[in-house]
Amino acid sequence: MLPVPLPLTLTLRITVLVTASTLQCLATDLQSPDFNRDIRPLLRNYCVKCHGPLQQQGRLNLSMPTGIARGGAHGAVIVPGKPQESYLWQLVDRDEMPEGTPLSAEQKNLLKQWIAAGAPGLPGPGQVGSTEDQHWAFQKLSRPQVPAVKQQPLVRNALDAHLAVQLEAVGLTFSPEASRELLIRRVALDLTGLPPSPAEISTFIKDPDPQAYEHLVDRYLASPRFGERWGKHWLDAAGYADSNGYFSADTDRPLAYRYRDYVIRSVNADKPFDRFIREQLCGDEMVGFRPGQPVMPPDIDLLEATHFLRNGQDGSDIGVQEPEAFEIDRRAALEAVVQVTATSLLGLSVHCARCHDHKFDPISQREYYQLQAIFFPAFNPQDWINPKDRVIHAYLPGEKEVWEMRESHLRQQLAQLQEEYSVWVAANREPSEVLFEDPFSEGWQSRWSAAAPGDDKPSAAITIDGTQPNSAQVQAGTLQIIAGPGEAWLSTTQAFDWTPNETGDWIQATFDLVDNKVSGGPAERIGYNIAVHDFDDSGSLVGGNILIDGNPATATSIYSDYPGGDQQVIGAIGAQGYVPGRNFGVRVTNIGNGEFRLEHCVDGLSDGATLKLTAADLPDGGFSFFYCVNRSFIVDNVRIERSTASVTTTVDVAAIRRAQQERFAEYEKQRKDLEAQRTPEPGRAIAWVSDKSGKPPVVPFLNRGLYHLREADVPPNALAALSDPGAEYVAPVIAPDAATTGRRTAFADWLLRPHGRPSALMARVHVNRVWRQYFGRGIVETTDNLGIGGAPPSNPELLEELAAGFVADGWSQKMLHRRIVTSAAYRQSSAARPEALTTDGDNRLLWRWPVRRLEAEVIRDSMLAVAGQLDLQTFGPYVPTKQTALGEVIADEQIPGALRRSVYLQQRRSQTLSFMKVFDAPAVATICTTRPSSTVPLQSLALLNSDFVVARAEAFATRLLAETDATPRELVRYAWQIAVGRLPTDTEAAISTDFIETQSAHYSGDDAKRRPIADFCQMLLASNAFLYLE
Amino acid sequence: MTSCTGSRLQCSPRRAFLGQTAGGILGSMAFHWLQAEQQGRLPQAHHAPRADRVVVLFQNGGPSQMDLFDPKPELNRLHGQPYPGGVKVETLSPAGSGNLLGSPFRFQAAGQSGMVLSELIPHIASIADDITLVRSMTTESVCHEAALRISHSGHALATDRPSFGAWLTYGLGSLNHNLPAFVVLPDPAGLPINGTLNWSAGWLPAQHQGTAFNSGDPAAAPVLNLHTPPRIPENARRKQLELIRRLNAEHLQRFPENSDLEARLKDFETAARMQTAVPAVVDLTGETAATRRLYGIDLPGTAPYGTRCLLARRLLEQGVRFVGVYLRGQPWDTHADNANATKAVAAQLDQPSAALVRDLKQRGLLDSTLVVWMGEFGRTPVSQGANGRDHSRRGFSMWLAGGGVKRGYTHGATDDFGYESIEKVVTMHDLHATMLHCLGLDHQRLSFEHNGRNETLTDADLNHAKVVSELFA
Repeated sequence: MLPVPLPLTLTLRITVLVTASTLQCLATDLQSPDFNRDIRPLLRNYCVKCHGPLQQQGRLNLSMPTGIARGGAHGAVIVPGKPQESYLWQLVDRDEMPEGTPLSAEQKNLLKQWIAAGAPGLPGPGQVGSTEDQHWAFQKLSRPQVPAVKQQPLVRNALDAHLAVQLEAVGLTFSPEASRELLIRRVALDLTGLPPSPAEISTFIKDPDPQAYEHLVDRYLASPRFGERWGKHWLDAAGYADSNGYFSADTDRPLAYRYRDYVIRSVNADKPFDRFIREQLCGDEMVGFRPGQPVMPPDIDLLEATHFLRNGQDGSDIGVQEPEAFEIDRRAALEAVVQVTATSLLGLSVHCARCHDHKFDPISQREYYQLQAIFFPAFNPQDWINPKDRVIHAYLPGEKEVWEMRESHLRQQLAQLQEEYSVWVAANREPSEVLFEDPFSEGWQSRWSAAAPGDDKPSAAITIDGTQPNSAQVQAGTLQIIAGPGEAWLSTTQAFDWTPNETGDWIQATFDLVDNKVSGGPAERIGYNIAVHDFDDSGSLVGGNILIDGNPATATSIYSDYPGGDQQVIGAIGAQGYVPGRNFGVRVTNIGNGEFRLEHCVDGLSDGATLKLTAADLPDGGFSFFYCVNRSFIVDNVRIERSTASVTTTVDVAAIRRAQQERFAEYEKQRKDLEAQRTPEPGRAIAWVSDKSGKPPVVPFLNRGLYHLREADVPPNALAALSDPGAEYVAPVIAPDAATTGRRTAFADWLLRPHGRPSALMARVHVNRVWRQYFGRGIVETTDNLGIGGAPPSNPELLEELAAGFVADGWSQKMLHRRIVTSAAYRQSSAARPEALTTDGDNRLLWRWPVRRLEAEVIRDSMLAVAGQLDLQTFGPYVPTKQTALGEVIADEQIPGALRRSVYLQQRRSQTLSFMKVFDAPAVATICTTRPSSTVPLQSLALLNSDFVVARAEAFATRLLAETDATPRELVRYAWQIAVGRLPTDTEAAISTDFIETQSAHYSGDDAKRRPIADFCQMLLASNAFLYLE
Repeated sequence: MTSCTGSRLQCSPRRAFLGQTAGGILGSMAFHWLQAEQQGRLPQAHHAPRADRVVVLFQNGGPSQMDLFDPKPELNRLHGQPYPGGVKVETLSPAGSGNLLGSPFRFQAAGQSGMVLSELIPHIASIADDITLVRSMTTESVCHEAALRISHSGHALATDRPSFGAWLTYGLGSLNHNLPAFVVLPDPAGLPINGTLNWSAGWLPAQHQGTAFNSGDPAAAPVLNLHTPPRIPENARRKQLELIRRLNAEHLQRFPENSDLEARLKDFETAARMQTAVPAVVDLTGETAATRRLYGIDLPGTAPYGTRCLLARRLLEQGVRFVGVYLRGQPWDTHADNANATKAVAAQLDQPSAALVRDLKQRGLLDSTLVVWMGEFGRTPVSQGANGRDHSRRGFSMWLAGGGVKRGYTHGATDDFGYESIEKVVTMHDLHATMLHCLGLDHQRLSFEHNGRNETLTDADLNHAKVVSELFA
């Protein structure tokens, strides 16, 4: 028994969608079996494998209501109301079906009851056509006749006519056209995502031209803001993100923005949609590009377009370094490519067929792997490219040669300069005694060891003269530090006294850094140690083991007692980074009072900050190089020496040091002058996708989708259910030295063939999504699934007209938008009409324009625009977002670009802006074409209390005070025009004015004038008048 | 069981959209919801629920079953020897597969039921007669990240799937509209591994996301955007709320039939009430000294977790549907010095965990609240290094209380070493199915269409999830 119930209330509200079948379903008595809830899963799990879309044994297809109603070779299998006469029930009752797995008594009972109840949910006898054999969405496009309707004067185009037919069937008409001030706000926000300015509004309202609205639409379609708004919808459909996702680390995709920019540019240029898709599938093959080749500027676009194929999550950069984990991570990225492509372009859940034949759609598991084979050459788990390496440098013809010539000349000059300097330094040294010197010639092995001098428990073994990880090897007279996964040392066998006796005396250890890598990437640190005496991990070590952890770019970190539990950071010394070709090291100088200065030496000279150590820090011990992951490098000429100045009185040490400083300054100036002449590599880095080579890879069929259950190899192919005879996917034959396999081009040919069925499906998928954005509900509600398992179209003729018209208009996206927003359906008023409310309360038939809440991005962008703060800078790297200590994700307003449009903010999968997330902005994992539009109290809290809204309100107030004569009445009128696009009603004006006048009572001083206006502005931005389109 | 206001029935449309088995065919789930509202139908679970709210005390890192819940004399006898039969224990680290590592802790029978528990958890032992102990858990990964995803959302790799609490609020809605339905109490000192992903709504509508309460700094807002900005005085804010109400009421006259607009109008009032309700629910000053002692808030070791457990009780009491209590990082991750580390963590968590059950019981809330104490996996019977234990996924323990589960019952068993579950094996998916069942939900029918696929928490076709009905009385 539950305790006394608390008020059962709800914080969940969603804008809603309807189909006829849902109505039917709801009307069904809860007690009797429901077709969709109870019967369909039964058939799906037990029957459709043999009697479904792929196999119709006995010519029976139990995957669709029409198929069940029609029956098979035996005739009808269901006689509604009469289980005993139903062939299907007879077989099930006798346990003859499902073969080998009889149903349980409970399952049988459900089936029997359902038939006895008249088999609700099946179409009647007259409704079973023959088209069922070819699912409606898989058919060719055929543009329907424009029907004649009674309300002809209200009809503006064919779209309207198809809507009017359905309206008239229930005795409804369109609503009259909305007022111009409502229309301009509606169409401006829909097309550009930004509110119209008061000037635009007043121009439009006063425009006497009967075509004023059409001209207005054309202006907005031509605006650069159009591509930002509608490009974002495509980016969502394509699963775009600025991060790799998959793992919680959600690593960065720093170059993905170029694809975002490509999309925005393409939409603004009204690139034909079929061409747009082709570029994204195979732009690299269209260009015929090979890495290292120059490209022409238009081709750069096409290379950037291929980023579409890598929008899916890809964790292969940071996976666990085990073969099995690699396979899983890479396969997941490959599977994501297939899913994103099939769902975004075809609106089919092809990914369901990875482990088994699709349960509704005619897609076999084998076909899944055939489709995978098309993308496999670019995403071959056995020949993988990590996301961060899927990058090329594209440059113009000639650009690179010139650059390389100049680079080479400058490098020579730098080398010469350095040589001269080194010679000088060698000749002008302070007097010293060399304690140890190794130029890595014969016999070097005897001078080095894995153990520090006297250490009885040495570090993990370093192989002397080995080539595997954790080895030291001499090549060409230089020492290669080949690091492995563990921490280890390569130490001198000789120990040194690191605490010079006299004040002013020093000991120093230096070496030439020949290269910062052996093979593979550059070392993350150049680490070495002094005073090493005991490799002890336990944490009981005292003193010594000073780790000098050289940083490639900045100051050098110093640790003591490293490694071990008591290791600690002492601080940092130096300033210069470890770049190859220079001499690095440290000097320890006795500065009296038992203290020792540790200073960084670069090219024999003191560099930057120093630290103080004590004698306890510096026990006698060796010098060593430090081994850890990603720390392979090459050194030469290790030299350990100590000063002899205190015993050699004939030399003026101070004069030598002065000369050194002067010579160094001269060298540095010359070096910097030369460096300044260097330029970055020309061209631009592009994150792209291309096949690894033209050689066809082996693509295995995976039993149950399991990576270790490989079966026969499959060739590339597209979906048979969409292939017309004579227009099947043609596996390309490619020369062995080709850069790519051509499989993606062949897929694009198959998909985009004019008048073909695949392109017909793609057109339907796209126009349906666009329609959904305008009217809040797709003609097919399941915008990602136009397959057999998806919802049927609520107005099939309208969908066909839109899709066929889209294709006939040369796949022009702007013409598609223009048709929709110039239709009477779009232009009609959103006001309620009592008689229509009674007939169609949910406005399924579009007798009025549906009131809609703005999307997250539009809310944010509009608030910035209204506040007069929107930064309209276009394109370029994303504006970073960050998570605050309290877990809020924000765009820090201190950084440049924080007030740019939302499409330019970092789209990190795990870091959606909190303010937008609460208004349903998605965290993109695969793709997102249908967002909920929720109404929850957390939104109200964000509108009332978030820093973002409060700051916008204050800026809005500042703008108002600057732009108007601030009588509250005028100010209120102007504020409404800016924010809501219309003048307030008398009541609204009175409420607003009254508020401003009385609110000042709550403030004093300067606040008394501005704060009431800001408080009003905030509530205007929080009001339904602002948040909703009408 | 409702108190609805106005024309809008403020209830979850449970029955309506939970009945859906193939979202694509039936259309949007959201629609059902409105229909249910408009038709004034009361929400219904799939079947009679045993509990109507849940608290999960999540034990990040993987508690050591053979040191806490699952005595293994044979393991102790063969301590220091190789695992018999040449069994290679699956571990995360190659160094994790040392010789058998016995438990130094004493086990004894507790309560009337005689449930055998370790000396490290005397308080949990004191509620043995109120709990069901499952000793036969399994999961699919020995990586923290993946195992956390499995234990929260049923899938090792996907990062976009809803976590358990999100499914629950999606299925059952809220019991108190002045508080979020899904509240998370992370350690104020830091998030667990996987961070906020542990309470993500994935692709479910955003409102099902867990709301993390900051229980640390009393000066900071416990919920994001909860506090009125300091520059707006309270009386000025009141006038603002009046203004927005009047503006929205005026706007509503244009579309009087639009329930969404009306809902938003009311949401500002709800938000204002939340501004009072949330601070009130997190304000512990009204709790008696006896209650504080019960949870160990008077002692420094147990105070942090005790505070969160007490907060959990207050939230449950106020009708929060799902409360998740988390640990910072992963304290149970005892790779080194397992015995001392486990002892130290147990000392901090044992008393508060037991106190929550005891307190719910004494307030008559235990029957309607399902308490779940679980980690993402267990630990190996063999040593890692000298004296640590590595991750183990094949056999580990967890316990439940309240919500109609059996009292003083021990379910399933592992082998002689506590490595592999061999009797009445319970997978994470089974546990999810069972938890939903307890709340009156059928794991195969609680579904949501995503990218054209009808998704469920347990993905039962794939994972063979089943309700473990033996756990219920």
